[in-house]
Amino acid sequence: MELAKGLVAIGAGLAVFTGMMTGIGQGYAAGKAVEAVGRNPEAENKIRSMLILGCAIAETCAIYGMLIAFLLIFVFK
Amino acid sequence: MIYFLSVPKVTLQVEVFSIMIVVGLIFGFMVYANRQLTQSDPLAKPKGVVLLCTIYVNFISKLTTDNMGAKAAKTYSPYIGVLALFMVLSNISGLFGLAQPTANYSVTLTLALITFVLVQSTVYRSVGLKQFFHRFIEPFPPFIIMNFFGTIAPLVSMSLRLFGNITSGSVIMMLFYTFTGYISGMIPVLGKFDFIGVLTGPFLHAYFDLFAGLIQTYIFIMLTTIFIGNELPQEE
Repeated sequence: MELAKGLVAIGAGLAVFTGMMTGIGQGYAAGKAVEAVGRNPEAENKIRSMLILGCAIAETCAIYGMLIAFLLIFVFK
Repeated sequence: MIYFLSVPKVTLQVEVFSIMIVVGLIFGFMVYANRQLTQSDPLAKPKGVVLLCTIYVNFISKLTTDNMGAKAAKTYSPYIGVLALFMVLSNISGLFGLAQPTANYSVTLTLALITFVLVQSTVYRSVGLKQFFHRFIEPFPPFIIMNFFGTIAPLVSMSLRLFGNITSGSVIMMLFYTFTGYISGMIPVLGKFDFIGVLTGPFLHAYFDLFAGLIQTYIFIMLTTIFIGNELPQEE
């Protein structure tokens, strides 16, 4: 029984690792946005709203991982 | 879970009441705003509720016109506006002690289902019944599997994105308050009162409830308008 609980915790921890690639992607997007503002400062507002939209959509993947971790912890306790 | 009075096997989820409160608030505000709008002088400078409504309607009609074109925007913008209002109020209702309706998967699935039906009906109206089914076997018949999942995918991703964001926010806040309660329990005299949570909680609430709620609402209405706009026939 204790072993099963530990395995569930390890699985939840692994599920949260989906956030790693999301972090890389969001950082890349933010870097590109900074570049775009540097090239074209008057389009700053448009770039900002585009960046927030893109980041939030990219975040979906991390949220799925988190959801699976929560399911593992709270359903298979 | 609340058991309904004397009716066997009918259970009401607690979110039903918060949906009622949110919808009642929207309804009351609309009646009030309608009265203010009809009484106001159209030539005078708008102020108060009238100004607020004007800004909101302008925002929604600009967003829909950008993504769908002027003709379709007139048809869809009332729905988009009410959807945004409902979702904003649902997402931030956690701040006022209500159970967030969007933290229930049935609610987000229903909202995503409405978008899905709108998109599919737009496809049907713009290309006709024969093309509607023909799109599934393009470019050749084995692609029906991919096209089928491609059609269903937005339904799943839109509903799970909203649900996951709101649910994870509330679960993280719960974990956070448990943690700060444990930490402040170590302090001898003040330990009964979780003052660390009180001091640091508002910033996390501002992020998880206000910011995430508003961003998710914006994404949801943005994606709805983009999906519908993609399927509309090209207007000259």
